[in-house]
Amino acid sequence: MGNPQANPTEAEPLDARAITRPEPVLLTYYTVVSALALVFFPFVFLPQYFKYKTLRYRFDDEGVSMAWGLLFRRETNLTYRRIQDIHLTRGLIQRWLGLATLGIQTASGSSSAEMEIVGITRAADLRDFLYERMRGAKGLNEAPPAEAGSEPSETDEALALLHEIRDELRAIRERAGNGP
Amino acid sequence: MNAGATDKAAAWIYNGLWGVLVEWFRVPRAAPETPAGHDGTAHSFNPAPGYLRYVKLSFWIILVIIDLALLAAWLVIFSEAGAVWALALAIPWLVIMIVPDVIAYIGIHLRYDTMWYVLTDKSMRLRRGVMLVRETTITYENVQNVSVRQGPLQRYFGIANVVVETAGGGGGESGTGSSSHTGVLEGVSNASELRDLIMTRVRQSRSAGLGDDDHRHRQEERGAFGAEHLDALRAIRDEARALAERGNARS
Repeated sequence: MGNPQANPTEAEPLDARAITRPEPVLLTYYTVVSALALVFFPFVFLPQYFKYKTLRYRFDDEGVSMAWGLLFRRETNLTYRRIQDIHLTRGLIQRWLGLATLGIQTASGSSSAEMEIVGITRAADLRDFLYERMRGAKGLNEAPPAEAGSEPSETDEALALLHEIRDELRAIRERAGNGP
Repeated sequence: MNAGATDKAAAWIYNGLWGVLVEWFRVPRAAPETPAGHDGTAHSFNPAPGYLRYVKLSFWIILVIIDLALLAAWLVIFSEAGAVWALALAIPWLVIMIVPDVIAYIGIHLRYDTMWYVLTDKSMRLRRGVMLVRETTITYENVQNVSVRQGPLQRYFGIANVVVETAGGGGGESGTGSSSHTGVLEGVSNASELRDLIMTRVRQSRSAGLGDDDHRHRQEERGAFGAEHLDALRAIRDEARALAERGNARS
């Protein structure tokens, strides 16, 4: 159960759009990590507790946003296509609990990950979800479904316009021909 | 001393250690998952055996320096404080000299066995780490440059580091370890081959690798108009021409 690698990815692909909250096991992880701080436990635990309580994810067709914070709110938005690299990091306690940190980097200047998705037990599957949507994962000969759908309608409209112009011209010529 | 027996014993202990790591510490022993959607040419590999020898040599050099220093310190105690003190300290001294070395030696093997590189035709995935397992996934489409680094010792062992960088700053010039925006294929024996493989892919892509549309250029190549559009345009030209001729004939 604990090892994210053990999840069969082929059998049941993860639909990340359903993810809105971290899983409760994240609170367990934060508690364990804070416990390691011994006497400083409250100072370490409280911010993490509120992070867990306020953390929200939103995965849509184009991108992902992540927001948390009680007093100081922070929100990160990015699109799948601008992902540069994906880092899946698993520490010892995280592996025991079946958790992972999924770091997403865009081409911005910071060296740390722009977004660190925590509290997802199917992190490897989520990585696959993001990987399939980042640039270059599909190869050059494969257009993404969204564009394939929009492209023909656009060209059809242009073609229809051309046909309309042709018909108008033809009507003018016929009228001119029929006239005196 | 039977060298074969000690090797066997060492391998047995090492495998037992791996069993503990896999069972209790959940260290993944198998290669990382191959990124989906490849054409079947994907392959996973560890660093070259030369890399293990290279790290071991570095280890031995440091070990000899530290142990010589410890031995010198012990001899100073022997001459200054007397034989009684020196003998009393002999056992802990030996422990200090040997135990960290054994741990480091096992650590080298573990580090080597946990370093994985997976290359597909579209992306690469790098894993390293025993306690903190870190996997980096980069598509070739996003690669900005590839550099090969090799020191004199690495040249002697026939290995090099292939450093793959994506856009964005932050990553130091360290050259080792997969930090942000960089993927390092450390200690590979076929560095130029891998460089060519990745650079071929990078050259094929005509985007800047900054999130631009990777099929926009193909649409431009094809032309915005298809055969049907050209037919319609020709019909319009003919209509206009006929109209103009009629006008000319009438005037």
